[in-house]
Amino acid sequence: MRGLSNSLLLLGLSSLAAAVFKDEVGDVDFHHALFGVPQPETTFFHRPRKDDKASLLYTLGDVGVFGAVNPSNGAVVWRHQISSNTTDGGGHLRAPEDEDWVAAAYGHSVHAWSAMTGRNVWHAEFAGQVKDLEIMEMTETSRKDVLTLFQEDGVTVLRRLHGTLGTIVWEFREHNKDIPLQVSTNIANIYVVSLHGSPSSYNLKITSLDTATGARVNDWAVGTKGDVHGPKDVMFVGANSAAPILAWADSSLSKLNIHVLGSKGKQEFPLASDTIDVAVHAPHKIQSQPHFLVHMKSAAGNRAEVHHINLKNGQISKAYELAHLKAQCAFSTSSEGANVYFTRTCEDEVTITSSESPAILSRWLPKKAHDLKPVHAVSEVIRKPGGEEFAVRSAAVTSDEDWVMVRNGEKDWSRPEGLSGAVAAVWVDIPEAEDLAKVLEQEAHTNPVSAYIHRVNRHINDLRRFPAWLQSIPSRLKDSILGGGAGPKETGLRRDSFGFNKIIVLVTRRGRVYGLDTGNSGKILWATQVFPQATDHALDVKGIVAQDGSQVIVTVSGSRGEAVQVDALTGELLSAVPPQGSVSVSSTAIVEGPVGPYLLQLSPDGKPIGPLSAATAPKNTIVIRSGDDMLKGFKLVADEDKVTQQEIWQLQVMPTQRIVQVATRAPHDPVASIGRVLGDRRVSYKYLNPNTVVVAIFDDAVSALSVQVVDTVSGQILTSQRFDGVDGGKDISCAIAENFHVCSFFGQHKLNDGTNRLVKGYQIVSTDLYESPTPNDRGPLGDAANFSSLEPVDTPSGPPLPWAVSQGWVISQPIRTLTVTQTRQGIANRQILGFMPESHGIVGLPRVVIDPRRPVGRDPTPAEMEAEGLAKYAAALEIDPRTIISHERDVVGVEGIVATPAIVESTSLVVAYGIDIFGTRVAPSGVFDILGKGFNKTTLILTVVSLFGGVMFLAPMVRRKQINRRWEVPT
Amino acid sequence: MAATSTKTPEWVTQLEYPPLAKGKGSGIRDPAGFAGAPGNSKKSGKDSKIQPRQPPTPEETDKLKLKKAWEVALAPVKSLPMTGIMMYMSGNSLQIFSIMMVFMAFKNPLMGLMNTNQAFEKFHSESNAAQMLQVKFVYVVCQLVALGVGLWKINNMGLLPTTRSDWLMWEAQRESVDHAITAL
Repeated sequence: MRGLSNSLLLLGLSSLAAAVFKDEVGDVDFHHALFGVPQPETTFFHRPRKDDKASLLYTLGDVGVFGAVNPSNGAVVWRHQISSNTTDGGGHLRAPEDEDWVAAAYGHSVHAWSAMTGRNVWHAEFAGQVKDLEIMEMTETSRKDVLTLFQEDGVTVLRRLHGTLGTIVWEFREHNKDIPLQVSTNIANIYVVSLHGSPSSYNLKITSLDTATGARVNDWAVGTKGDVHGPKDVMFVGANSAAPILAWADSSLSKLNIHVLGSKGKQEFPLASDTIDVAVHAPHKIQSQPHFLVHMKSAAGNRAEVHHINLKNGQISKAYELAHLKAQCAFSTSSEGANVYFTRTCEDEVTITSSESPAILSRWLPKKAHDLKPVHAVSEVIRKPGGEEFAVRSAAVTSDEDWVMVRNGEKDWSRPEGLSGAVAAVWVDIPEAEDLAKVLEQEAHTNPVSAYIHRVNRHINDLRRFPAWLQSIPSRLKDSILGGGAGPKETGLRRDSFGFNKIIVLVTRRGRVYGLDTGNSGKILWATQVFPQATDHALDVKGIVAQDGSQVIVTVSGSRGEAVQVDALTGELLSAVPPQGSVSVSSTAIVEGPVGPYLLQLSPDGKPIGPLSAATAPKNTIVIRSGDDMLKGFKLVADEDKVTQQEIWQLQVMPTQRIVQVATRAPHDPVASIGRVLGDRRVSYKYLNPNTVVVAIFDDAVSALSVQVVDTVSGQILTSQRFDGVDGGKDISCAIAENFHVCSFFGQHKLNDGTNRLVKGYQIVSTDLYESPTPNDRGPLGDAANFSSLEPVDTPSGPPLPWAVSQGWVISQPIRTLTVTQTRQGIANRQILGFMPESHGIVGLPRVVIDPRRPVGRDPTPAEMEAEGLAKYAAALEIDPRTIISHERDVVGVEGIVATPAIVESTSLVVAYGIDIFGTRVAPSGVFDILGKGFNKTTLILTVVSLFGGVMFLAPMVRRKQINRRWEVPT
Repeated sequence: MAATSTKTPEWVTQLEYPPLAKGKGSGIRDPAGFAGAPGNSKKSGKDSKIQPRQPPTPEETDKLKLKKAWEVALAPVKSLPMTGIMMYMSGNSLQIFSIMMVFMAFKNPLMGLMNTNQAFEKFHSESNAAQMLQVKFVYVVCQLVALGVGLWKINNMGLLPTTRSDWLMWEAQRESVDHAITAL
């Protein structure tokens, strides 16, 4: 009974935060479900059903998301993360021919998934790191198996896994210091390719194994003459074809060495003199003819050569050559039965050739407007029933990091995969053409006469727009009555009166900056490559700030001293500082300058990077994190053109401790009420100190988490909480706003019911800070108008300490990247936003649910319920599905959540970024200042009109009656 | 012009001076020479009936007046228990009933206080002036008691700004004189 009443109470409370309604989906929120930029070796077309011609497009992107895409419209069929974290590329994805599953591997794990639905078939974990995954197409049984190559410490392990069960069929282990590279099969044998020797010069070692037992059959080495220095230098290992090959080029890219697995020795082919890059494309099917294509890129264009392998003696002969084309092209292979087709997808033409002859089977000319710049592609060539006509569709990754489907030379769809892996985001207001507020401010600062003249002039200028405004009235009236606001929205970027249209600027780890319009379903406005990154290197953004004005400028600072300024409206690059080798930026401070905030880059020891004069140096205390174990506050003191550091405080943690997270306030953190009205109408005054941060310190020796509120001016620890049995390997996340902070972690709690039982689980702890433990008391500072953290009051040595009220709840799943919603004036309740990595959703917990004043062990009094909305405390916090603001959307890999206020008080705009981009609007106290969709303007107007009509009809009657009465003959 | 204004047509006169609205729907014309004092007609009728009795002496009249005055003075207190019960029953939430009741609870005593002299005018005479003062005093106290009940009610409803929370919005936030920039 009690449980029921509790849940009823919770239900009642949660109605404060209304769920997302069905008709709001897609209107208030948007979601870019992404895979990451597809990797060439893990992207392919595959038929998920044996007896169905239709195929899906499978890929594993460079952020570790794999899945299937509908090739006809680019919609996601299913999607999974290959690892619990975002990956830096790598991973393996393969699909067996004519089977309904795909196999994927990353790190320790190998798993198989249903190709059609994405349901898990089996999952296996092994020691070591997976190096390659291959499908064994030809087995002694009718099924197909999976070959996995693992590297354990100095041991190369090849396992054959049962294709439908995931059990080990046999295992081959070899103890040596070789670097396992690839596994490949042909009809007869399995070949394990590894690098043997020293890093200065590796030789290729090939071990052939028996397919049925995994016993070693033979092994041999292929000399490379010092051309191979690492796994990356071996460009290609054709797998599963009739004649798998190994290819590597020499360092000067003058010749290509090719070794056909199963034969001895290598064969050399000269490369064109202007070659800057070589790639080899070959079919992956066992029944395909053993032909392959060598793609040679030059600075201006590219050419290709097609070679044939003689299966009997392993001899390779050059068949024909595809002429040099001055365009950016990508080659891809497609096979149909024994036929092999090579598709050349270029900026301005798409051609298909058969591997047999250089004759062009079909050619299309894509429109210039498509702006294709293919980097690599996969294609599917279909011979039409007539026999002579061909159709091709190619999924190409362009140099703009889009994934584009080109069907017969026409762009079918495009997916913005480059948007994945966002590492930093900032909200930008769309600037108004004429900002009235600024003009008024300007007028206020001049003398009255000139201000008056200025105003009159402004009004005369405004008159020019008057006729246009008059003309627009009928159409606006019509729109507002008939459309009810749902009519065709104005396109283009513009401010709206609610402030929902804003730009979110995202920086991806690949060094590309995107601008998204949140008012227009997250449409990508622009994308600019600013810091091109090497494939295995991620951009580390240390600071991002937007500067308002007539032109909104977003400044991004990286960890290597790179800095860039981008126009937030157009994406135009305004200035760029390339990375500097010697500079290391550990953090940036957002400093209010004369023209708005700017980023001050700081080196690890807190020295400002770049020129800083005495005039521009910030006067305030700057807090930096020095290493993992110290917080430092210092001031920059300017004396005669020289800026020196003056340290003010240090917060050094114990040797076994480390600072896990420092949560800071959002720059916009307005306080609507300085106190909290209690049920008995007394007031608990909030401890409102803008200079506070929450520091989460983890002690590895005793597995304890200490959450401390630190005054950033004085370095004083204001409150400290300790939680035992915390798992430091799991996410610890904190957020601070107003007078409260919230932390989420995995910990244990000792029950105080005398049994000493320990409860382990994910916890969320909420703490409120008040000025005094007694209500109606403003603490030792009393009614002072201001305070300084450096001036003690109550005791000669101590600053006024806040009174902390705290409660914790056990939650069923982790919540990380905690953020607090922001509204314009802070009147609306706050929601605590967090990402739930296990259920792939973003939750918005209302503050009343995690209110530390919830009464424990008793029901709240009616006054408490009315004044504070408190519900009885229950240790388990069930996450109400209605509070999940991402509702049914599958949001993966969120690394950060940013919130910003809209113009209307009720609403806060939220964007979660990471692998996916999800944006929505939340109204923590309900949308109390906007008419809902249920408001019917037509009914209202009809009512008014009919009332008016009634009055018009009745007025003469009444008048007649009154006159009649006066004229009535007195009786 | 002047000729027309001096000699107005009859219909204009009738329009400007319509016949008096009839108080009763009897439709019977008053007899000629009737002065027209409908309010007093009944009383005068009663008095005329009592007429045969002995007219009261001025002392008796004063006594009677005083008695009547006391009744008037204590009337507000007599209705208080009923009001109190109704107020208790209507709850402390803001509803149309409780709002109306609170309004009446304030209006009646205040109007009563303002009209103190009028209320006792008819009982007033030269001889009982001193006693009348006493009665008026009690009347005022009673009205104040009724007002107090009203106050108690709005206090219960939380409408009296008696607590700290009612003045919270006029209290200023304490500003910090120093500011720190976090670069974490």
